[in-house]
Amino acid sequence: MNVEDRWTRFEELDAGRVLGDLDAAELAEWQELSRDFGSDDALDQLAAEVEAVMILEKPLVLPPAVAARLKREFAPTPSSKSTGKIVIGPWLGWAVAACLLGLLVVSRLNFSQTPTAEQRRSLLVEKSADSRRLPFAPASDSYAAAQGEVVWSDSRQEGYMTLSNIPANDPARRQYQLWIVDPSRDEIPVDGGVFDIPAGSGPVVIPIQAKLAVKNPAAFVITLEQPGGVVKSKQEVVVALAKS
Amino acid sequence: MEACIEAHGGLVWSIVLKRVRDRSAAEDLTQEIFTEIWKTSGRYDPSIASESGFVAMIARRRAIDWSRRQQRLPEMESLPDKADFPAPVETPGHAMDRDSLWKALESLPDETRRLFTLHFEQGLTHSEIAESTGLPLGSVKTRLRRGLLEARALLGRLGERLNLNPGPPP
Repeated sequence: MNVEDRWTRFEELDAGRVLGDLDAAELAEWQELSRDFGSDDALDQLAAEVEAVMILEKPLVLPPAVAARLKREFAPTPSSKSTGKIVIGPWLGWAVAACLLGLLVVSRLNFSQTPTAEQRRSLLVEKSADSRRLPFAPASDSYAAAQGEVVWSDSRQEGYMTLSNIPANDPARRQYQLWIVDPSRDEIPVDGGVFDIPAGSGPVVIPIQAKLAVKNPAAFVITLEQPGGVVKSKQEVVVALAKS
Repeated sequence: MEACIEAHGGLVWSIVLKRVRDRSAAEDLTQEIFTEIWKTSGRYDPSIASESGFVAMIARRRAIDWSRRQQRLPEMESLPDKADFPAPVETPGHAMDRDSLWKALESLPDETRRLFTLHFEQGLTHSEIAESTGLPLGSVKTRLRRGLLEARALLGRLGERLNLNPGPPP
C-alpha cells in the first residue's frame, strides 16, 4: 500500500475506533498505522458533538435518586460545628489552614479547578479504607536507584505511583508503562497506562489508568516500551516492581 | 460539580442507558463518568469543544469501554488528567456551532442520516441496525465509518474550527 492508501485505511479504522466497532485484528492494524500517522481527539470530538446535538433534542432525565446520589458523592465534607468559645491566638494557623481547605473544596464544586495528582493521591490515602501502599524496588541494575511506592484502592479502582530516581524518557522514542498483575482475574497483566518521567524532576506522582477492573492486585510492574505502549509487554526492559 | 450534574446529567444518562441497558450498571457507569469529568475538567477548552461535547466525549468513551469490557476487547485510553491546568469558568462552547453541525448532518445522504439516527440518537448496536434496516452488518459498519468522515469533511468546508481535515504526512 502506498501512503495515500495507508492513510485512507487509517482514517476508516480511526472512525471505527471512535464508533467503538473495531475487532481485535482491526485494533492491531489501527495501532500499527497510528504509529505513522498519529492520533488525536478531533474525530472523537466530532462524534461526541453529533451524539450530544441529537440527544439534546430529546434527552432522558437523570433519575432524581441517581442525581441525588451523585451530588452527595461530590459534595464537600461537612465542617464540624463550633461548640465553644474560640481562642483566636493559638488557633490562628489552623483557622487559616481550614480556610484554605474550604477554598479548595469550593473551587472543586465550581468545576473551575481540579486537584493535582498529588492531592488526589493524599485524598485516596485518607478517605479510602481499603487503600494499600506497596514500595517499588528496582528490577534491574540499570534502574538500581529507582524508588517509590504505589497506592491502590480496589473499591475505588483508583491508584497512584510516586516515583523518583527513574531516568527521564524521550516520549518520541520510549515510554514507561505500568502493568498490574491480578491473578484473581486473569494471568495476563492489566495495562495500567503509559506515562513519562520529565527531565530534571524530583519525585513525581503518576495516576494509574487501569484499563480493566482490578480486583486484588498482587504486583505492579513498570516496563519501558515503544511510544504509546504495547498491548502485551515482552518485558525486555523491566524498571521497577512492587509486590504485595 | 452540582451545577455540572444538573446541566449534563440527562445527556450522560442518555448516552449510558441506551448502551448499557442495565439500570444498576448504568448508575455505576454514570458515577464513573462524572468522576472522570471532575478529574479531567482542567482539560476542557471552550475554543475546541462545546461543554456538552466535552461531557459527551467522556461519556461515549466510558460507555464504549464498558461494552468492550463485556466482549473482553481492549479498551480506549482515558483522557489524560491535566490537573495543573485550570479550567475556564463555565462558558458556552464556541468551537462547534450547533447550526453548522445540523447543516452538515442534513447534507449527508438520506441513508447515512438514517444510520446516524439509529446509532447516535437511538443507540442501536451495529447488529441491531442491520436487523432493523435489512443491510448486511459489514455495510452498516462501513457506512457509519464513512458517514462520520463525510460529516467531518462537510464541517471542514463549512469552516468549523476543529482540526477536521488532517491529511497524511508528506
